[in-house]
Amino acid sequence: MKSPVYLDYNATTPLHPSLVPFVTESLTRWGNPSSVHWAGREAKKLLSMAREKISAYLNVNPLEIVFTSSGSESNNQAIKDSLPLMAGTRNEILYSAVEHPSVLKTVQAMEARGYKGIAIPVNRLGELDLEFFKNNLGEKSALVTVQLVNNETGNIFPIKKVAELAHSAGALVHSDMVQALGKIPVDLLDLNVDLATFAGHKFYSLKGAAVLYIKRGVHLEAFINGGGQERFRRAGTENALAIGCLGQAIATLSPDLKKMTEKVAALRDNLEKEILKKYPEFILNGISAPRVANTINITCPGIDGETLLINLDTRGVAISSGAACSSGSQEPSPVLRAMGLTPTEASQSMRISLGWLTTEEEIQFFLEQFDISISHMRKAL
Amino acid sequence: MKKKVLVAMSGGVDSSVVAALLKEQGYEVIGVTMQVWDYSSCDITPGQGTCCSSVDVQDARGVADVIDIPFYVMNLEAKFQAYVIDPFVHEYLEGRTPNPCVNCNTFLKFDHLYVKMKELGCDYLATGHYIQTQVLNETSQTVLVKGRDPVKDQSYFLFTLRKEILPHLLFPVGDMTKEEVRKHAERFGLLNARKKDSQEICFVSNAGYQAFIKTRVGPDLLTGGELVLLPEDKVIGHHEGIHTFTLGQRKGLNINHPKPLHVIKLDPKTNRVYVGPEDMLYSKEMKVRNLNWMVDPDFDSSYDVKIRSHHAGAKARFEKHQDGTLSVHFIDTPQRAITPGQAAVFYRDNILCGGGWIS
Repeated sequence: MKSPVYLDYNATTPLHPSLVPFVTESLTRWGNPSSVHWAGREAKKLLSMAREKISAYLNVNPLEIVFTSSGSESNNQAIKDSLPLMAGTRNEILYSAVEHPSVLKTVQAMEARGYKGIAIPVNRLGELDLEFFKNNLGEKSALVTVQLVNNETGNIFPIKKVAELAHSAGALVHSDMVQALGKIPVDLLDLNVDLATFAGHKFYSLKGAAVLYIKRGVHLEAFINGGGQERFRRAGTENALAIGCLGQAIATLSPDLKKMTEKVAALRDNLEKEILKKYPEFILNGISAPRVANTINITCPGIDGETLLINLDTRGVAISSGAACSSGSQEPSPVLRAMGLTPTEASQSMRISLGWLTTEEEIQFFLEQFDISISHMRKAL
Repeated sequence: MKKKVLVAMSGGVDSSVVAALLKEQGYEVIGVTMQVWDYSSCDITPGQGTCCSSVDVQDARGVADVIDIPFYVMNLEAKFQAYVIDPFVHEYLEGRTPNPCVNCNTFLKFDHLYVKMKELGCDYLATGHYIQTQVLNETSQTVLVKGRDPVKDQSYFLFTLRKEILPHLLFPVGDMTKEEVRKHAERFGLLNARKKDSQEICFVSNAGYQAFIKTRVGPDLLTGGELVLLPEDKVIGHHEGIHTFTLGQRKGLNINHPKPLHVIKLDPKTNRVYVGPEDMLYSKEMKVRNLNWMVDPDFDSSYDVKIRSHHAGAKARFEKHQDGTLSVHFIDTPQRAITPGQAAVFYRDNILCGGGWIS
């Protein structure tokens, strides 16, 4: 095993090898999808195909799909553009304490504009505090935004229940479902949210294409003014290649979801077992709450997560640490902190996320390099 | 197996050349930059006379890309605050003139990064300091030797290193002149080959250290006091706070006096600043505390002692005290402005034997 091993699928996924021919062929469809002529039509076909495949998979109407550039953009749109159209007395945003920064910071931005954000706590197991949520829902609730799957722990939140409660209080419901695609089936009709976010690059597709689902009847202000793209919601020439690729990914990969999830779960279970066998003092976070099959979040007492990440990287293994210190923020993993871990515990944590392309051989290589790294780190102290 | 080395990269030309040379020599090189200070709100001109601004972090990353090595930024702002900034401010308030670069070397570069080097399973830690290592024939002990270029020698700032770590350190530019280093940088195609040398204290902006201290402590700690003339011991004026003075200083005293006056002594207890004629600045005696020895001391013979970074050094003998401090007697000539808070660094020939802090 010499080639580098990638175990950071929650950050982004590689382009699935089966999609490469599609991408290569689509490179010739360079037209502007808004153009009337043959070149425009060729590009437009990519958008139409993608809208159809994606909406079919999500069990919604094609016209409810809006293409954006990224999950972060979809989250921004959902929050920023829905609130101004809510009744004036509704000015509260309820959000889970473990949302992605593109939700947390957007809520903060809306707080600066006079809205009130209310964070719904999670417990040590990673479960959402539904009692707190119920108690804080009311006539002032404007928008509820809770992710379907957490990016750091893989925990799944009861969005159907959240939507039911929120709707009974008259609030809109948005859910960031970026981490759900390719990990669990998503049926938007069943979940009954008003707005939902997806991103192609978390599902073996290209970066630069994402989705904002907007239920029919829900009104948002335009995010980008200009041309008539996306029915005037978002002007700007579409990234037809990446959008088409996402459609193709949904169409061709989704049928394998069950099979792949079982494969990934088996690898994940084995990996967790092997780590705990050797390091019984390590703690797996979020494992007793519902979770997806690919994510391991582990606290390694006495081991600095960021140094472990660097150690593994220099040995050809890519993972992610619970600390985002290198990006300048001093606060280690807000998600783990919200779950009640101390700053030290959070900084001694890391995330391993597997994917459809992960092999048994790669897991073995990871375990070897993990052992070597831990042993160097223990000797150094 | 290739030997692995962690290179502390500042974004400057010296440590960039270190990384490139070691890679060329066949080492497996890992580059790391310490982010020690939030520069977003300060007025330091990027890349001008500083050693660690965020622009320099980008320069280091650029060099790592050019020579194709893995590169990481470690956030050490909290540690820098605790071990470098806070003591720096405290020392001024205590009437001393601090040397923050030594603390940065002691607690960040050669402690934190040394541990990281071990944790990453590396064999060596390398920096761009102008200093050399040498293995003594008699004892096979590794010692530090002054950099070959006397203008660039940085041994003065490295007297606190623990002798156990010396065999694991590499200083590839220690036997070069700056011009040679720049030639290497050009040969490797490094963008920062002609970048200006770092100068002054990296976290103190153009406004100077007094302004910096003002931003760090409350006004109640920066009160003024009496200016006292020596040897008469007579109050002759008022000052704005002892942190604005350093020993030997002549400018900025704002006193009318027939003879030139210098700062002779600072007393934090009474908040008095003592001034007097220049000859009072000279002394043959000083006390040194918090000693570190890299070569076992020999109290029967003399050492060359440097009392500030640009001091030429002077012959001195030592007298050891029970409390661990040292009395230093300069043998030939009295020394001007022996300044509390600065380091006293001991050499024999060109070997860095140890040092301590002037008290």
